[in-house]
Amino acid sequence: MLKRPSARNKAHKEEVELNLVPILDTMVTLIGFLLFTTSFLAIVSIESPLPQASPEQVQEKILEKPLQLTLTLREKEVEIWSPFNKIPTKSIANTPEGEINLKAIHEALIEVKKSFPSETQVVLAPNNTTPYEVLISLMDTIRNLDPTDPSIFIKNEKTGVDEPAKGLFPKVVFGNLLGDT
Amino acid sequence: MATSRGIMARKGRRNANKTFELQLTSMMDVLVIIVVFLLKSYNISTHNFSNASGLQLPLSGSQDNPTDSLQVIVTPESITVDQNRILDFQQLAGQMSSKEANYSFRSSDLDEGGRRIIPLYDALIKAKEKTELLLAKSQSRTADGKPLPFEGILAIQADKRVKYDTIKKIMYTAGSAGYKVFRFLALKKDT
Repeated sequence: MLKRPSARNKAHKEEVELNLVPILDTMVTLIGFLLFTTSFLAIVSIESPLPQASPEQVQEKILEKPLQLTLTLREKEVEIWSPFNKIPTKSIANTPEGEINLKAIHEALIEVKKSFPSETQVVLAPNNTTPYEVLISLMDTIRNLDPTDPSIFIKNEKTGVDEPAKGLFPKVVFGNLLGDT
Repeated sequence: MATSRGIMARKGRRNANKTFELQLTSMMDVLVIIVVFLLKSYNISTHNFSNASGLQLPLSGSQDNPTDSLQVIVTPESITVDQNRILDFQQLAGQMSSKEANYSFRSSDLDEGGRRIIPLYDALIKAKEKTELLLAKSQSRTADGKPLPFEGILAIQADKRVKYDTIKKIMYTAGSAGYKVFRFLALKKDT
């Protein structure tokens, strides 16, 4: 016997319900795992090699007379200089609040980089009382180029093509580990 | 009364047969959002640096992710090497604030004209010997068949108030113990 049209429709409209419970179990396990293993503290590092100099290397340097760009932190100013007088010595006074003028140092270093584009190293000689926070800020200022900085091009020795510099002076070496100041 | 009880009982039986279904769809939506957020902020890194209580790390714009290495944690109270507190500083007069800390080394902890930290030197030499022993036993070899050389990388995780004088002493001590590369750790600055 044929069903009535309305009854036929009802037979087709039977809902199929998806069983969400196992998916929910998986999700909860996944969230637990992610919460347990995720490190919300993103730690970064700044590498610095231990300064090493043999008598032969020192002799070689005296003959070569490299730039050896040096930043010396004094009580009220920062001095940017070269032991072989490759650049004129520049003193940058601290801000009226007594803090190191990072912006002025960065601008002065960009000028040096323009003259010596292949140079990558800076010798840093901080003051004994300089806090670690200031050291890190200063190293960032020395190493990194900001997007607003003028472009500096370095000639690639292999290809002979000028390429934009990725950093300012990425290699920071501490120069006064043996000294008292 | 007997009739009404009978009707009520039938109604109750009908209700008991109905199953209560929890609406899981909205809960699924919430969980999916949480999973996506966690996956997005999941930081895949090879380091396993621990954090000391009260340690205030400075912020840095560096993009370099540190790899796993021996770490020294320096706070204004103490120095910790590889989870072992090896030295306590002498606290000086004046209150320790969030910006400044007054501390100094005990003279008995220093030698070589106040440049080398004795407990740190001992701990670093011990860690170096342990690493060299592991490298000697490891199957990984150089092209000549010798054990891999000791890399000598030291990660320094210092409080932002720690002074350069302390960092300098740590670097000098590590240098004399055979560590050649220092990694200064900081928190990533949001750009």
